[in-house]
Amino acid sequence: MIKLQNVEKVYRTSSIETLALNNINLDVKKGEFISIMGPSGCGKSTLLNIMGLLDEPSKGIIEIDGSRVEKYSEKNLAHLRNQKLGFIFQSFHLINDLSVIDNVEIPLLYRSSTAKERRELAQEALEKVGLSNRMKHFPKQLSGGQKQRVAIARAIVGKPEIILADEPTGNLDSAMGNEILNILQSLNEGGATIVMVTHDDAMAKRTHRLVRLFDGTQVL
Amino acid sequence: MLRHLFKLIWNKKGTHSLLIIEIWASFMVLFGVLSLIVYNVSNYMEPIGFEYESVWNLDLDNNQDTTKVAAKLQRIMQHVKAYPEVESVSRMSSNTPFSANQMNNSVTYNKVSVLTDQYRTDENFSTTLSLPLAAGRWYKKEDKVAKSIPIVINGKMKEKLFESENPLGRIIKKDDKTSFKVIGVIDNFKAKGEFMANDPAMFEVLTDDNDWDSNFLMRVKPGTDADFEAKLVKDVAVMLPGWGIEVSYLKESRENRHKLTLVPVIIFLIVSGFLLTNVALGLFGILNLSIARRRGEIGLRRAMGATEGKVAIQFLGEIWVLAAFSMIIGLVFAAQFPIMNVFDIASGIYVTAIIAASIIIFLIVTLCAWYPSRQASRIHPAVALHEE
Repeated sequence: MIKLQNVEKVYRTSSIETLALNNINLDVKKGEFISIMGPSGCGKSTLLNIMGLLDEPSKGIIEIDGSRVEKYSEKNLAHLRNQKLGFIFQSFHLINDLSVIDNVEIPLLYRSSTAKERRELAQEALEKVGLSNRMKHFPKQLSGGQKQRVAIARAIVGKPEIILADEPTGNLDSAMGNEILNILQSLNEGGATIVMVTHDDAMAKRTHRLVRLFDGTQVL
Repeated sequence: MLRHLFKLIWNKKGTHSLLIIEIWASFMVLFGVLSLIVYNVSNYMEPIGFEYESVWNLDLDNNQDTTKVAAKLQRIMQHVKAYPEVESVSRMSSNTPFSANQMNNSVTYNKVSVLTDQYRTDENFSTTLSLPLAAGRWYKKEDKVAKSIPIVINGKMKEKLFESENPLGRIIKKDDKTSFKVIGVIDNFKAKGEFMANDPAMFEVLTDDNDWDSNFLMRVKPGTDADFEAKLVKDVAVMLPGWGIEVSYLKESRENRHKLTLVPVIIFLIVSGFLLTNVALGLFGILNLSIARRRGEIGLRRAMGATEGKVAIQFLGEIWVLAAFSMIIGLVFAAQFPIMNVFDIASGIYVTAIIAASIIIFLIVTLCAWYPSRQASRIHPAVALHEE
């Protein structure tokens, strides 16, 4: 589903060169639930951004669904993100000025779907995360766990094959974190491929496979 | 997407209210300036209706002299006529072309009343100002004894009073005692110059016993210079001791008249230009700040599949929606002008000004939002998401 070969990422400024990722080789199979762990600053989020086509590697090859993406235009990459990938972030990234349902609809705005279709799909996604009774609420009226569930609904509304979650439980207490992980597990059981960055060993143990990074290098 | 933008702006209407007021105020100022400009330009497009080049105005003032004024004025007429430099001379009331004086009266025909500019002139007036007749004839000396005062009207008066009816021979009334008979029609007569509206006008024959209309318009031969002017003033001064004598050239009077019209327009234009520049700079600053605050949202939208172009369009779209909100409010106010016929100006002028003001507002907001929107679209999604 996602294949990374000899991926390297270097951040350069005029005086400093930082190697964020070094020779990463990773093959995420369809239907897998992978967790990426490592200390802060080891390159977990950079790796997730590269897998999510939000950032380009300095070297190496990325394949999504068998297609190499390095020569894709900005437009094609955006299309691929919209169609195949769903993102969940630690800080939720909800737009406070939009209602829950409008937040969930955002990925569908970049597709040729009608308002009615968008509404139906968003309602369906919110039902899946158990928030159909909060559709008209605004993010400020929700708890952290509810916000993350909205973010999950937004990630799955376009029915992507891959979900990339960057510390989805990082801002939540353990009970709420477990609840979020349960939702992710049920999505995975439904066929979604999930890559999750986490600091939490207990969470990582519940995934199929663990990838450990240290100083930008894959150690497991 | 449009619905999404409307929701986004509507949900933030409190935050955007000052911006909406600012754009609305700019729209109203632009509407005012443009109404003035469109009004003047549309007037300018209509021909003035007469030839003023080589026409001088000899303005006499009898001061304390009240003895046989009419006879003295007639003598002056004969004297001026005799100069070889003068092609044609005509006596008229003090509301000479391009002067500040104005005379108007309300006249009625078939229960239709029209306020018309009124000029008292003689039989040579059409020759002196090369006024082409559209119908009928100019009055002659013999017409002075007619029961109804013979008048020539302009096209606008014909249109307002008679519509499609032939006005020649028709009697119109000023009051119970005074009636006029239409004997001729000219096209335009815009005495205050090109920027004057083409208003109804009528020319009434000046009688021999008239002793208060003491302006003489003279069409002089090409090349007639200040030497003749000096000679003329000297001769008239000898004939009319103690009288005030002033000669002006219609060409110069026209330029002065134009200045009187254009100076306020230019001042208004400069003031509103300054205001709009301030609004534009403010808008630019607000948009830059707004984009800096919304970097996380930009990153999110890019992650969700928005291209650079779509991010730029979104920010442009937001400001267009804001401008549209402002202009809907502005339209409620501006639409009252044509509906209530404010200042008696044709509704087409207001409508043109509304359309032009809307286009300019959209251009200004687009210009202000263009650079910040392009900058927003170039924000690296991974960086923006990480910062948040």
